[in-house]
Amino acid sequence: MSADPREAYASGTALPDVVTGAAAPGAGAPLQQANLWRDAWRRYLQNKGAVIAGGIFVAFVLFCVIWPIVSPYDITNDPLNFSEAYETPSLQHPLGTDKLGKDMLTKLALGGRISIAIGVGATLMILLIGVVYGSIAGFAGGVLDNIQMRLLDALYGLPYLPFAIIVLAIIGENNIWTMVIALSIASWFTAARIVRGQIITLKENDYIRAAKAVGARWYRILTRHLLPNTLGVLIIAIFLELPGVILGEAFLSFIGLGISPPDASLGSMAQEGREVYRVHPYVIAIPSIAIAMLVLCANFIADGMRDALDPRTRETKEH
Amino acid sequence: MALLEVDNLHTQFFTRQGVVKAVDGISFTVEAGKTLGIVGESGCGKSVTALSLMGLIPKPPARIVEGSVMFQGRDLTKLSERELEDVRGKEMAMIFQDPMTSLNPTLRIKTQITEVLDRHYGYSKDEAVKKAIELLEEVQIPRAAERLNDYPHRFSGGMRQRVMIAIALACNPKLLLADEPTTALDVTVQAEILDLLEELRREHDMGMIMITHDMGVIAETADEVAVMYAGQFVEQTETQELFDHPEHPYTEALLEALPQLEGEGIRHGRLRSIAGRPPDLILPPPGCRFAPRCPHASLGDGCAEQLPDLKPIRQGHLVRSRHPASQREAAVTA
Amino acid sequence: MTAFIIRRLLWTIPVLLLVILLTFVLMRQIEGNPFRRTSRAVSPAVQQNLERKFNLDEPWYVQYALYVKGVFTFDLGPSLVTRDRTVNDIIKEHFPKSLELGLLAFVWAIALGIPMGVVAALRQNTAYDYTLMFISNVGYAVPSFLVATLLIYYVSLKAGLLPTNGWEGWKYKILPSFALGLLPMAYFARLVRGSMLETLQQDYVRTAKAKGLRRRRIVMVHVLRNSLIPAVTAMAPLLGFIITGTFVIEIIFSIPGIGRYFVTAISSRDYSVVMGITVLTSVIIILANLVVDILYGILDPRTRDART
Repeated sequence: MSADPREAYASGTALPDVVTGAAAPGAGAPLQQANLWRDAWRRYLQNKGAVIAGGIFVAFVLFCVIWPIVSPYDITNDPLNFSEAYETPSLQHPLGTDKLGKDMLTKLALGGRISIAIGVGATLMILLIGVVYGSIAGFAGGVLDNIQMRLLDALYGLPYLPFAIIVLAIIGENNIWTMVIALSIASWFTAARIVRGQIITLKENDYIRAAKAVGARWYRILTRHLLPNTLGVLIIAIFLELPGVILGEAFLSFIGLGISPPDASLGSMAQEGREVYRVHPYVIAIPSIAIAMLVLCANFIADGMRDALDPRTRETKEH
Repeated sequence: MALLEVDNLHTQFFTRQGVVKAVDGISFTVEAGKTLGIVGESGCGKSVTALSLMGLIPKPPARIVEGSVMFQGRDLTKLSERELEDVRGKEMAMIFQDPMTSLNPTLRIKTQITEVLDRHYGYSKDEAVKKAIELLEEVQIPRAAERLNDYPHRFSGGMRQRVMIAIALACNPKLLLADEPTTALDVTVQAEILDLLEELRREHDMGMIMITHDMGVIAETADEVAVMYAGQFVEQTETQELFDHPEHPYTEALLEALPQLEGEGIRHGRLRSIAGRPPDLILPPPGCRFAPRCPHASLGDGCAEQLPDLKPIRQGHLVRSRHPASQREAAVTA
Repeated sequence: MTAFIIRRLLWTIPVLLLVILLTFVLMRQIEGNPFRRTSRAVSPAVQQNLERKFNLDEPWYVQYALYVKGVFTFDLGPSLVTRDRTVNDIIKEHFPKSLELGLLAFVWAIALGIPMGVVAALRQNTAYDYTLMFISNVGYAVPSFLVATLLIYYVSLKAGLLPTNGWEGWKYKILPSFALGLLPMAYFARLVRGSMLETLQQDYVRTAKAKGLRRRRIVMVHVLRNSLIPAVTAMAPLLGFIITGTFVIEIIFSIPGIGRYFVTAISSRDYSVVMGITVLTSVIIILANLVVDILYGILDPRTRDART
């Protein structure tokens, strides 16, 4: 039975059980989640690394969104300017220019937009597919669960990037949406596993039995009791999937199988830089560093959230 | 000279939230061949006391800040880690509360016993195996030779605790620390384990410290007893004396909380519990720590303002209270 | 123990069949014709002949059955594009290089990653810990194409120590395998560290200390072994990742491996080659999982008795 390393990393700890502590007796009682999130937020803020990472991440996203609007350069419509190609960083072009004389800083923002958009989009899609698949498997149990898990085993056997490549080939086009679909189809398995695992663990809790005993229907139990309690683990899983998706898109674009022009992502920017890295290393370095930064931040944020939501692991780190 | 002399021990945990004074000035002695019981509710510091004696407290957040632990003429608090390693397992041994998690699940029982023998006595492989079988037989594990090759998960809870005892006794320690050895076991097994411990203790002529929250266990095993509350001893005397003439309100409450199904003190109706919770050990109250829960503390008697000293109320009976039972009776009859 | 292994092995067969089916179905969905895509346009009559020759005119389930039969007799069919070679040939020629690259990367990952994790855990919250974890974070986050490029730039071009591309001798193999191994290395380091920290908290470690065992023994015998279990579990997917992630490194370092060939095959719609490579990698991944499961069974005796 294969296990994604991220699974061991993310789902090894069960979320502290909120409902048994705080809810009023009886099924369908409103979950008093407010305290959990406030506490978690407070704990998260104590983690300097996570806060800094979060800050950088948000700052970069803002940069990508806002800069192209205010930038003096219009990448898509400005005429090509070969005389200004490959300039080194200067006041006019803080990050230099590319082979067509386009401003790298603006390109970076635009590329960032696309990479982040694909990353977030794919992550959300992974979440959606994963939650649906995982909760059905975990909740139903028995034969259905078994079948679903065998199918998952088989899917795990398909290598990640080649799978995405094949899906892209099937779809035929390479734009943001298709990338989102391809990447999410190729990597939803871990999220499904995590959700299933959580549901199975939570299913055994007494408050679920209490809910059933009072006659609550399965969809109510699922949506009202089980899924909210998996939220914490899910959020962590999201932030752990994000780097994989960003890197996946970057790799695919880098070898030319990803985003096709005129759209440019950070990965395709890196690809352009590859041709001339010996002479102009910054063309490949800049987008790659941006990718690395996004991935690092996502990791730190995920770590921070994990510590915030499960105090047990924090105690280990304290000494 | 006593086997173990602890004087004014202070163990503290330095955490982000503050300094937790887990053990706040306790002193006691243990004689060879005798059992000292330390009783108190969860969180009072009794386990930390035992761990402090062995030097097993987690060193980064915790530290023995004051006091001495004289064992066999040496102050254990002043020893280096390497020297302590020579004492542990050999002169002083410890068994823990949860036998499920206290044994390594991936090593055979044989290894877990022989490694102690190898470490302290340098036994050869065969000698060690032979001795291990003897030890298992001593703790009454049937088919010892076969079971030696099993893994811990093949044993039941009670058996695992016996194995732990065997490991602890392997090198004939002079002092055995037992940290709630029966708490995690079924009631029926508890009695067996306690009997076993007592028997072995007598045979090996060991001193023992029995840590528990169960007065029943104290009654069965301890020669002397210390009642611990919020990091301090509140009463210290011989066991029989404690049960016959408890002085501290907390001790009385503990005894009253025991269910009595028959005999003189038979109780009907609800079990009595002690209202309230133990104090925060980062900022303990300035006065008597039990005052908030004490039925005898009242305004104006200084209980909440000043911490009473641990003083003898009789020969061999120390109490830390402004309202010990015998004085209360005297006040009533007066 | 053997029953356990046999049970695992038997499970892999249906999984494998399913994988082949999935790949098969996927490939069929891709538009495009391996014959029409080549520069030599083919007339309809020739097209039909070619299709018949390669069984492409049969209904899909027949093709699937034929293919499965082929897989189990180790015949992966001919290449549809370079028609004088079979998929087996192609694989034989290119795969060993990728395999070697992957295994070397794996060796880097274990040889560096595990000690990093151990040291970081034992010296938690010291400069060692922070530095090592920082390095591992970088290794994880920085895309390998950047690392590869930087390595080539600094080590090969500037310092002239190692060659920039090709795969002819041991010198050629260092940089690419290192670049490929960085991410798994980072993974192991983090995983081992976390796992060790957790193990160090366990009650049985406390018992070991109470026995007076020397620290070295406690770490080597009690802590390390149990800490490595999660790392072992992680090895399978990481191995899978490595083996299937070689193509970027192969492209950058111009290594004639199977990954690079795979990318070309997709573009040229060479169904059989794509299928063949995918099936191959899937088999490897599944086998790797099997090995890990078995290893897990050896390391943790509790799982042997439990139902799989």
